Amino acid sequence: MFQYEKKLQYPINIKNPNPLYAKIIASQYGGPDGELGASLRYLSQRYSMPYAELKGLLTDIGTEELGHLEMVGTIMYQLTKGLSEDEIKKSGFYDYFVDHTTGVYPSSAAGVPFTAAYIQSKGDVLTDLHEDLAAEQKARTTYDNILTLVDDPDVREPIKFLRQREIVHYQRFGEALRLATDRLNSKNFYAFNPSFIPKN
Amino acid sequence: MNRKKLLTKLSAVQFAAWELHMYLDTHPLDEEARLRYKRHLKEYRKLKAEYEESFGPLTPRSDSDEWLDDPWPWDNI
Repeated sequence: MFQYEKKLQYPINIKNPNPLYAKIIASQYGGPDGELGASLRYLSQRYSMPYAELKGLLTDIGTEELGHLEMVGTIMYQLTKGLSEDEIKKSGFYDYFVDHTTGVYPSSAAGVPFTAAYIQSKGDVLTDLHEDLAAEQKARTTYDNILTLVDDPDVREPIKFLRQREIVHYQRFGEALRLATDRLNSKNFYAFNPSFIPKN
Repeated sequence: MNRKKLLTKLSAVQFAAWELHMYLDTHPLDEEARLRYKRHLKEYRKLKAEYEESFGPLTPRSDSDEWLDDPWPWDNI
């Protein structure tokens, strides 16, 4: 089961609302490389993970991603709090506003609603871990792009924290891949799928 | 200590413990890391108790009505 903790993983206190920033950062809530996809990917993949270290790691990283989803939602909320009609019209936020007002909704920056097609759970340890390594780098690039577009230090600091977590997760998944291949036939890693047919 | 300062300290210690916890997923035999983890965990439990005593529960609890009190994590503090 999961139990909630009433705090953020990293503090967020944004003084100046900026709806355009909110629209850009929304992509890390429900976009193609966002935190919702990340948490669903890892928490779904862990059922077919064959080794104890990998079950633990997917559970822990998947759980941390739920905390990151809450951080990105908090950034969106604080960036759109107390907006005037004029600010909404002038900022380019009107297309988000017409569908969601200032509610936090999982979609990409371009407005495409979240879809599970962004993720894969393939039931093959090597395939899933390579998907995870790629996912961490895609999220890291998205955070880099956000940092290119956003100047406000109140927003940049938590985004920099989230970017750094992608790098740490990538490192852990790399170690997980090594732990997996160490248990396979070094002459042919694909001789059998340990997630599906255990080696006798 | 005020709420913001204590929460920042608690989060920093919790983060250090969490980072070591995930490291130990892939390095379960690293006893030095495990000792460091245990030190941070002890400090985290102490700070969490201190925080909850002054500012209400961090995990869902209804022995008082403080669970419903502001601020929520997404509020500016």
